[in-house]
Amino acid sequence: MKNARILVVDDEENIRLLFKEELEEEGFEVDLASNGLEALDKLKEGRFDLVVLDIKMPGMDGIQALNEIKNANKDQPVILCSAYGEFKQDFSSWVSDGYVVKSADTRELKQTIKNILGL
Amino acid sequence: MNPVDLLGKIIEISHSNLELSSRITSILNIISRDMGSEEVIIYTRDKDRRLSCRYANQKSVLFKILNQYRCHVGEGIVGSVAQKRSPLFYTKRDIPPRFGCLFYPELDGRIENYKLFAFLPLADDSYLYGVLVLCSSSRDTLHDADKIFLSILSREVGGILCSYELIVSSKKRISELATLTELGKILTSNAEPHDLLRNISLIIAKSLNATFVTIKLGYAFLKLDSHRFTYGTIDPSVQDHVEELEGAATRLLRAVSIKDCAPDEYEDSFRYSLFSAPIVSKNRVLGTLTICGDRAGQNYALGEDGPYLINTIANYISSGMENTLLNTRLRDAIRELSDAQKRLIEQEKFRSLGEMTANIAHEIKNPLVIIGGFTKRLARQIDIDRTGNKYIRIILNEVTRLESILNEVLNYVKETPLLAETCNINDYIDEVLYLLTSDVSWEEIRVVKEYDAGLPLIACDSQQLKQVLINIFINAHEAMRGIGTIWIQTKQAAYENRPFVAISIADTGGGIDPAIIDNVFNPFFTTKERGTGLGLAISNKIVMNHKGHIDVENVAGKGVTFIIYLPAKNNTIKEELL
Repeated sequence: MKNARILVVDDEENIRLLFKEELEEEGFEVDLASNGLEALDKLKEGRFDLVVLDIKMPGMDGIQALNEIKNANKDQPVILCSAYGEFKQDFSSWVSDGYVVKSADTRELKQTIKNILGL
Repeated sequence: MNPVDLLGKIIEISHSNLELSSRITSILNIISRDMGSEEVIIYTRDKDRRLSCRYANQKSVLFKILNQYRCHVGEGIVGSVAQKRSPLFYTKRDIPPRFGCLFYPELDGRIENYKLFAFLPLADDSYLYGVLVLCSSSRDTLHDADKIFLSILSREVGGILCSYELIVSSKKRISELATLTELGKILTSNAEPHDLLRNISLIIAKSLNATFVTIKLGYAFLKLDSHRFTYGTIDPSVQDHVEELEGAATRLLRAVSIKDCAPDEYEDSFRYSLFSAPIVSKNRVLGTLTICGDRAGQNYALGEDGPYLINTIANYISSGMENTLLNTRLRDAIRELSDAQKRLIEQEKFRSLGEMTANIAHEIKNPLVIIGGFTKRLARQIDIDRTGNKYIRIILNEVTRLESILNEVLNYVKETPLLAETCNINDYIDEVLYLLTSDVSWEEIRVVKEYDAGLPLIACDSQQLKQVLINIFINAHEAMRGIGTIWIQTKQAAYENRPFVAISIADTGGGIDPAIIDNVFNPFFTTKERGTGLGLAISNKIVMNHKGHIDVENVAGKGVTFIIYLPAKNNTIKEELL
């Protein structure tokens, strides 16, 4: 799974860029979406090994998107990645496979991805 | 002087402005001269209804002897005249054998000198004021006209005594009324209970000329710091009597005097008179009022009707106390209400402030992640010299610091639901201590544990509670600069009659400046150079969410103790939390 495909969903362009570069450096193939609807479209078009999903986004937010994704394919791994840890307590976030608080230090995100992908 | 002139003279004197005793003495002098009677003496009734020799003409010899004795109504000749209210006249020949009952041993030999004795009651239709006694050595008979004259005379003197008594008793009533009015004013004022009781004892003491007045409250009442309010000094010789009387008044639910309590000891010579009355409100004895008067003192106002007066005052006080009690409760209720309202407003303010803060923090967080993230990439990708490396390290350090501040702020402002589980707090303390003390900076800190092994379980969110313990331990560690003792005690406690667990954490870090102690739980308040000021604010919030509270005991210069109170499990805390 070295060339695992990851979809990064975030409304902030530069966050998308940062995650893309950081994850590509780890050897992942990264695609991007700027909101929940776009992410659902991308998931219909192609297969992704993992989705990194921001929560606060205009249009369809991350929690809604998470539900849609899991409804379509309950085995699709998703990591929620938000600016703050508040949603950890939110029951609806529990269906995600991981939860990472956004940080300039991307080590936790990478480690969580690797754990889920069994790397 | 003819009888008419004499009577005119006497009436003139009796209506003059002279002192009572001067008026009476003048009248007796005139009678003595005019009737050729060496002794003209007046017996009056005392408060205890006994007769004593009070007034005499100036030249009287017998007065000095007679005024040492007192007699009951009905006893001896004077007593029997007082009882029958009819005059008696004797010549030397027909003095009865019981005459000596009145005239005492010291008089032996003197009585022989007199040829004529007259005893006249000083009375009006309803009341006896005293007895007038005449002894004459120059005359041996009294004509009917003399007898009539003497009876008119005795009526006149009786009149003087009567008006005097009226004045005395009305003066007394007026002063009682003034006392009650003063008391009424104080009792209806909104004085604090403490001041109220002090003022009451002062007014009673002043207006009744009492040696001391003491109000004792039977039990913890109105949260006063003292249970006894005394004006004046309690003479040690009556201390026991005071306590005895207070007990009797409480038991009998009526006013009692020292006569009721210590009849054997109560003699005329006993210097003080003591009265005690229960202060009763709705069948509940709130306390007692005790008044002590000095019988020898001037203007001593408490006489036979002491029990009546003190009862009236005690009733006044109890209604005043009820008022005060009501007022205090009302004030407390209003204060609680306004506090609750303030808290609500604070909460509302806090909620909107929290939302705003959360939004701002969120908006800042993304750019910060981008700055930090790309700086890291920059550092990895290009070759930078040493100075450049230093700058990059500084940027990254500051980004990390900003991130941790934002995390704390968001942690504080967000509403965190509790994930309640049952636990023994002793275990959590040990877990937290194990984590902390494994760090080398804790090497020189001595940890003393005093756990209650039988501590009740509590329902709590373990993650959040551990956060509280960590915050307090870390503060202690920093206050002691790595050297000192942390003392931890857990025990059962009660708060508002409900079982609680108390966790005390004391340090030797020099305590908190008393000037800022009230601020320690305020968010963003910190004395640390790099603190966010949220540690204790978050801890407090977490403990409050657990329906508990944190107390601080501070000894400036020594150390500080934080005591965390959490409700024990047998409360229905779990349902309340979920």
